[in-house]
Amino acid sequence: MSAVTLKQASSPLERYRAEFEARRRPDDALSALRRAALEKFLARGLPGPRDEDWKYTSLRRFESREFALADASSLALEAGQSQWIQSAGTRVVLVNGHAMPTLASQAAQPPGMTLLTLAQWAGHDPSQVAEFLAKWAGEQASPFEQLNLAFFEDGVVLELAADARPDEPLYVVHQWNQAGQQRMSHPRLIVRAGPNSRCTIIEHYLGPADIESFTNAVTTVELADGASVQHYRIQQESTRSFHIGHVGVSLERDSRYSLHDIALGAGLARVGISTRLAGSGSHVSLQGLLAPAGTQHLDSHTRIDHLVPHTTSNEAYRGIASDRGRGVFNGKVIVHPHAQKTDARQSSRNLLLSPGAEIDAKPELEIYADDVKCSHGATTGQLDANALFYLRSRGLSESEARKALIHAFAESILATIELDAVRSHLDRLLETRYGSATEAAR
Amino acid sequence: MLKIENLHVRVGEKQVLKGIDLEVAPGEVHAIMGPNGSGKSTLVQVLAGREGYEVTAGSVTYLGRDLLALPPEERAREGVFLAFQYPVEIPGVNNVYLLKAGLNAIRKHRGEPELDAFEFLALVREKMKLMRMDESFLNRGVNEGFSGGEKKRNEILQMSVLEPKLALLDETDSGLDIDALRIVADGVNALRNPERSIVMVTHYQRLLDYVEPDRVHVLSGGRIVKSGDKSLALELEKRGYDWVRQEEAAA
Repeated sequence: MSAVTLKQASSPLERYRAEFEARRRPDDALSALRRAALEKFLARGLPGPRDEDWKYTSLRRFESREFALADASSLALEAGQSQWIQSAGTRVVLVNGHAMPTLASQAAQPPGMTLLTLAQWAGHDPSQVAEFLAKWAGEQASPFEQLNLAFFEDGVVLELAADARPDEPLYVVHQWNQAGQQRMSHPRLIVRAGPNSRCTIIEHYLGPADIESFTNAVTTVELADGASVQHYRIQQESTRSFHIGHVGVSLERDSRYSLHDIALGAGLARVGISTRLAGSGSHVSLQGLLAPAGTQHLDSHTRIDHLVPHTTSNEAYRGIASDRGRGVFNGKVIVHPHAQKTDARQSSRNLLLSPGAEIDAKPELEIYADDVKCSHGATTGQLDANALFYLRSRGLSESEARKALIHAFAESILATIELDAVRSHLDRLLETRYGSATEAAR
Repeated sequence: MLKIENLHVRVGEKQVLKGIDLEVAPGEVHAIMGPNGSGKSTLVQVLAGREGYEVTAGSVTYLGRDLLALPPEERAREGVFLAFQYPVEIPGVNNVYLLKAGLNAIRKHRGEPELDAFEFLALVREKMKLMRMDESFLNRGVNEGFSGGEKKRNEILQMSVLEPKLALLDETDSGLDIDALRIVADGVNALRNPERSIVMVTHYQRLLDYVEPDRVHVLSGGRIVKSGDKSLALELEKRGYDWVRQEEAAA
């Protein structure tokens, strides 16, 4: 009997229970939901090597860490701010997972748009929040989504009324600062786009170098009939941090969702993206760039469910691994029975820049309808020796030629970015990482 | 300008060049002809510095320097240019970037100031007119989606912008229709001057009708088996390569 008790107490996940009990929260409609989520997380445990979905990504390094919930803190933010994307739109800033109104850009909300923090919404109407969150926390929810549900404190909620089309993108900054050392946050971004509304959202995750933090973010995007959402998710956290993300998207009739999933930061990152095409005429576009360097491990798992006839998806991921960096891409496309006339395209191309680098790319197509068009392709290789020689034979040094080819490889994803501010921010990040290819031409 | 002595080159297990001797003086145009697999392309690739070729004996002296000791970009900056038989498509690197990066690297090497954007564009536009290329080519990926003829014209465009001292043309005439051949030949002729040497590898007499060589060499079995003036090319066109081989065997 005592042995069993001992074993339970020493389970590494039990500290999440201790952390959960230590926090005082109002006893409201959310309490039961949080507790149920915690219990589900603890019962299930962390995914391990036996979970097919986690075959290439080990949580061993993560498991031994102890993270406490982070407090709001605006300490020493100056360094972080220089990394923010300038002129990116209506800005909301979360520091260590807590919204900081003083850092938000002060613009009047355009008609039809409601923007508030999750803490505000939960304080105002907890039962409405509970109802909403329960809807997204079904049996499919991953252990980390359960963990987020148990611990979430703040986030951003964007609601667009029918036909609302704000001119400015919504720019959500998730900034860690030094006070976030050994801390965790479980932020949420909730987007509800009404019929025929249109918006652009930028999620930006960043923190100072060397900080060890744990971000477990959940984003949900609901697109009503005819809505259109452009979503950029840029992850450049410290290379010692752990970043887990989940993006859940539901699409109704004739809606369009496009995502740029850009993974440059964190020591270990795993982002799961799940899109459900539930209305005919709806379209999903996923463009991804994973660029692990050093000893980074960056993993993106995507899933596209074609649930009804006449839906389309287009997915392109590029991986660039240098040093001992490791990338993982898994692209699952499921064409459900009756989802005739589905058109699904997927490509994964990967570039290895050094002998110690590795990328595991796995397309998975499950097709249960017969009148569909599906294509996929995955390639992994090194810089093309012919192209390198060609450039050098025109006078470019070997390193200039390599840089030009690396940037060219990323260009197929970057070229699809419509926002200039995001594009130039990423150009700068890639130049820092691989060197500037344009020196010679300037 | 260029002096090749007893050059032996191996590719993998195969000895491809078995003792090439060739001297090219400034201002001269040499044509290298010969049957398939004789080593013509290998010779110019080795001169441009492509990896994968092992020089087992001999030497190449270019403007008094040991050419084989230089990496490809140093050769380019010293004025060696190879027009590729199969120009490489490089999506994502645009033509204007390549031209500008190449030209400025070469100018810097020569101690000349880099061209600003305005001077550079003026230069490129003038050269493009000569090659009858549309300006929209500039912002396309290097050779991306170009037809065979467009690729060859692009090689000659690059050559006329980079103004090499030694131009190596590797079957630049292959795959060209008669109009494109004329444009390419005009481009090459425009570059002829007393300081610039040109070595053309070709299968056919055709190109030599437009670009008249000073010397013609027949490469066969990894050796230059016969050299002569332009009349040799005409004779090859008429009689094929067998008589040269037979002559060589008899000697």
